[in-house]
Amino acid sequence: MDRKKHRILNIVAYTAVLSILVPLLVLPFWSFVGRWPWPGLLPENFTLRGMEELFSGATNVLPVLTSSIALSLTVAVLAAVIGMMTARALVFYDFRGKELISFATVLPIIVPGTAFAMGVHVVFIYLGLADTVLGVILVHLIYALPYTINIMTDVTAMIGNSLEVQGQVLGVSPARSFYHVTLPLIMPGMISSASMAYIISFSQYFLTLMIGGGKVKTLSVVMVPFIQGGDRTIAAAYASVFVLSTLLVFVLLEILVRKYTARLSGI
Amino acid sequence: MKKWQPYLLLSPLILLGLLFLLGVGNALVQSLGYIPAFNMKEITLKYYRQVFNEPALFASVKVSLVIAAVSSVLAAVFGVVLCAALTANGRVRNKVLQIVRIPILVPHTIAALFIIMFFSQNGLLARILFHMGTLGSQADFPAILFTTNNIGIIMAYLWKEIPFVAYFVLALMSSINATLGEAAENLGAPGIKSFLHITLPLCMPAVNKAFLIIFAFSFGAYELPFLLGATIPKALPVQAYIEYINPDLRHRAYAMAMNGVMLLITLAISAVYYWLSRRTYDKGGNRFGS
Repeated sequence: MDRKKHRILNIVAYTAVLSILVPLLVLPFWSFVGRWPWPGLLPENFTLRGMEELFSGATNVLPVLTSSIALSLTVAVLAAVIGMMTARALVFYDFRGKELISFATVLPIIVPGTAFAMGVHVVFIYLGLADTVLGVILVHLIYALPYTINIMTDVTAMIGNSLEVQGQVLGVSPARSFYHVTLPLIMPGMISSASMAYIISFSQYFLTLMIGGGKVKTLSVVMVPFIQGGDRTIAAAYASVFVLSTLLVFVLLEILVRKYTARLSGI
Repeated sequence: MKKWQPYLLLSPLILLGLLFLLGVGNALVQSLGYIPAFNMKEITLKYYRQVFNEPALFASVKVSLVIAAVSSVLAAVFGVVLCAALTANGRVRNKVLQIVRIPILVPHTIAALFIIMFFSQNGLLARILFHMGTLGSQADFPAILFTTNNIGIIMAYLWKEIPFVAYFVLALMSSINATLGEAAENLGAPGIKSFLHITLPLCMPAVNKAFLIIFAFSFGAYELPFLLGATIPKALPVQAYIEYINPDLRHRAYAMAMNGVMLLITLAISAVYYWLSRRTYDKGGNRFGS
């Protein structure tokens, strides 16, 4: 009985692993596919057309990739910091409107993205924020914050502020006490908040298109027309760059966390 | 502690929150037909009425509801099963977990590309089935992309959302499994029974929360129905955008009314969720007593 149960659960786990990994492995392969008529199992020939589209001339992806990463990293850092500030207010203080604010923080998850995007578009035109990088950063922040606030509230509640207060009792200024005592402790939480915010910003298509008006070019905005247009080779090439760059950023962030925790335990 | 300190900490959030409310509020005001810039100053429910009365527009409401409901229910069920598989024995399988995390990092637009590569009528699966002799021709492969059955959209959502649900419920389920579930099994309850009667009910708050998140998302998201949906009828977000960019500016009120419908439905579902979670919270005390 028990073994049978485990066999079923194993099948579930391995089905999941396969259905996740197979498409991800096919993706880079498909970015080199040339002619592939029905019903061949393998393409007739391979091509560098996808790579040319990515790395040469007018359509060079590298500037878009770097500015896209820079934009999302900005969102990530801001979202982690604002998430941390909000969490401190919610965890350490009692104030009027606390319930309302903590309810309002989840609203962007519930409100449909299209409704917000079209509504805020007009507001941004009036404010002069439409078609600007700043405007795009602001709307990405709004969609990333529910997640970073959630993570940081858990982390802040867990760490508490007794050590920080102790530092202050011993005569250190609040700012220094926060910087030297609390910040190192919450840093892993800050970094996982930043990763979450990064991926939300980097993936955003509709919101970026709407607010950026096609003038703010992110990798998502440049990639989607190829997925829609049905040129699978070029779409796969863009998607490969997208996935690879995301994994790279995440590996770097992970290393950052490890270094940080290693340094902490070294003290 | 000083009184203004929490507000100082909250100031960036409050500014962004105001921007958010301004956006949503503006959508709602315009959905009532009040757009002074286009010389529309009469406040009316006429656009909402048309969304419900005009068959072409109401079809969009139905399409979006079906996509969101089917994909979210399936994702919740399979997500819980996957989570159970990940937490079997009370310990989390770390390597599998790392892989299950990946779809959360891959955007919906790329999930759409995967579905196109594998499940279109000349896709990989059709070719494999042809070589196995199961298919006579391309046309024998069921059309699930760009058709009114919306199966392609639902599959793409499932690829993203099953791992999301599993990941969302994981912390809670593994801690319950490690304590209560094992206790029940030691007392002689078979695995599946202890799962259904102890682990699952205790996990339901997390499952419900995950369901709410993915339902609201799939109901209001533009990307997948735009990339994989049928030409007619289109899902609400896609149809709303088409109305929004219509050169005849009066169509904007229809776009906003469609946004209003999306907003009202997701808010209604969140209210039900809130009410349900309050109720179980209040009853929480005698959950084990009865």
